Amino acid sequence: MFDLSWEIVAMQMIFGLALGCVYVLMAGGLSIIFGLLDVVNFAHGTFYMLGAYAIFVAVSLCGNFWLGLVSAVVIVALIGGVIEWLLLKPLYKRDPLYPLLLTFGVSICIPDIIKICFGLIGKVVPYPSGLMGAFMWGPVMIPKYRLFIIVLTLVVLITLWLFLNKSNLGMIIRASTRDSMMTQVLGINVSRIWTVGFMIGIGLAALAGAVAAPMVASIPDMGVEMTIECFVVVVIGGLGSLGGAIIGGLLIGQVISFVALFAPSWSNVAIFMVMAIILIIRPRGLFGEEGRL
Amino acid sequence: MEKLTDIKREKGKVGFVDKSVWITLLILLVLPFLISKPLATEILIYGLFALAFNLLLGHTGVLSFGHAAYFGVGAYAGGMALRYFHVSVWTSLVVAMVVTALVAAGIGALAIKKKGVYFAMISLAFAQMFYFMALSPFRKWTGGEDGLKFIPILKLEFPFPVDLTSALPLYYFTFFVVGLAIIALWRILDSPFGRVLKAIRENEVRTRATGYNVNRAKFLSLVISGSFSGLAGALFTIYLGYGSLMTLFWMTSGSILMMTLLGGMHTFIGPVVGVGVFMYLQNTISVYTDRWQLFVGALFVALVLFFPDGLVGTIKMKYRERKSRA
Repeated sequence: MFDLSWEIVAMQMIFGLALGCVYVLMAGGLSIIFGLLDVVNFAHGTFYMLGAYAIFVAVSLCGNFWLGLVSAVVIVALIGGVIEWLLLKPLYKRDPLYPLLLTFGVSICIPDIIKICFGLIGKVVPYPSGLMGAFMWGPVMIPKYRLFIIVLTLVVLITLWLFLNKSNLGMIIRASTRDSMMTQVLGINVSRIWTVGFMIGIGLAALAGAVAAPMVASIPDMGVEMTIECFVVVVIGGLGSLGGAIIGGLLIGQVISFVALFAPSWSNVAIFMVMAIILIIRPRGLFGEEGRL
Repeated sequence: MEKLTDIKREKGKVGFVDKSVWITLLILLVLPFLISKPLATEILIYGLFALAFNLLLGHTGVLSFGHAAYFGVGAYAGGMALRYFHVSVWTSLVVAMVVTALVAAGIGALAIKKKGVYFAMISLAFAQMFYFMALSPFRKWTGGEDGLKFIPILKLEFPFPVDLTSALPLYYFTFFVVGLAIIALWRILDSPFGRVLKAIRENEVRTRATGYNVNRAKFLSLVISGSFSGLAGALFTIYLGYGSLMTLFWMTSGSILMMTLLGGMHTFIGPVVGVGVFMYLQNTISVYTDRWQLFVGALFVALVLFFPDGLVGTIKMKYRERKSRA
């Protein structure tokens, strides 16, 4: 056993926190879509992958990371909107399993399209110039980019909260999450609201992919594993709850980070064990509503 | 939705097993002379897997997105029994069924009470857990990504010696086991228990109100489905001669789902037809391009949108429409 100093623990926590933030963005998007449309988006990880590829393309075209980040989110959200409008809309009348099956089909197709366009080799996005390296905070080394992810996630979450709770459109979205038929009766085009909600959820997934892109080499098949990990997060947190997505995401980030430190070969298995434990002690998830699932 | 088999049954026309089962078995009997023997064997094995999967999806109305767990655990349990305990081939099949039934019971105990999409997510996550377990922490026993190798040369001693390394005897050994399993699955679905499963599929709330223990029936359905999937997995190991890690991969769960839907999940024999068509297409397309997933995925999207009843289901419906018009 190696000497475990608290500096290593602190650094591992920051790594875990940054990773957790990526999961929070992913699971938050998944939860918004589920809450609004009652659709479990199996292609969520696929849009994460698309976000990573979009920022790669945008950065290699214009050379600016920030412009790339914004355009990646916008472009992928638009793709998501088109898919919802074209493919998912006809399925809402049917059993809720069909949208899940459809998004599964989408998640099988899209990686192959990416393989045709970009090949199988991983694409690397360079770190933005100001955020390379790390700085010392006392004896603890803090990588700048990880800190940026944490701050960005915080900003996005606050914006999202303000948007959902203070803006008109946000209020309508919350209303149709609660009761879409009643909202429809009040004269609101719920179908359009659903498209907007879906795009917001997809935008969050794309953002997660885009900010993760400099840390990992993006490959076409990176999506499904992310989808599954995202499912674990929402099962732990409680599906359809934004608070659950946040707590679940942060918890999973820490679990992965610390198990990787102590027992590397178990790092992939650990999160599923946490899920099993949660299912035993609190079946509806940490923040899940009683009786909904 | 009325099912053809149910109507026929009420008229008292169905005997030991349905006519469609005999026809399918007959086609499978001559299959190795029509297409390549390895492909035919794979169709048999995946056909059983799809039928077992569909016991849960089509007949109970529960979508498991993680049936690779049972197929894969069966493949490894059978393979490990052969490799480390030197049991006979027959025993390895039994071991695989028992072990997967236990795994299914474990997952069922944790998750079967959950509503549809939630169960789908949890089952997928658990399947992924088994994949990663075989990949790294237990690689000493499972062989990691190389798969489970060094399985002794496979042959049958009982009831008469059969060499399972040559293609045709292997096919008919598989045919024998799969055939028995298909008949067993038909008998299970045709029993009063099978009727309860169908009632759950059609209306869970009403079934519960009628006094049936819905969760127990779903749990049993999962255990039976898992155990037969494990049998298919063990056969797959015998067919390959080693335990493949791909059996536990999420794509295996996805493929079996796509094949089942392609054939038609509301029919008994549809999944086998789906497996045949899917595997034949996959074999043909992958000759021309590596990107067969694109075609398969697009086909699946079209299927979900336009033909949710699958090949057999759609044909049956058209046939009935014409019959009722005539």
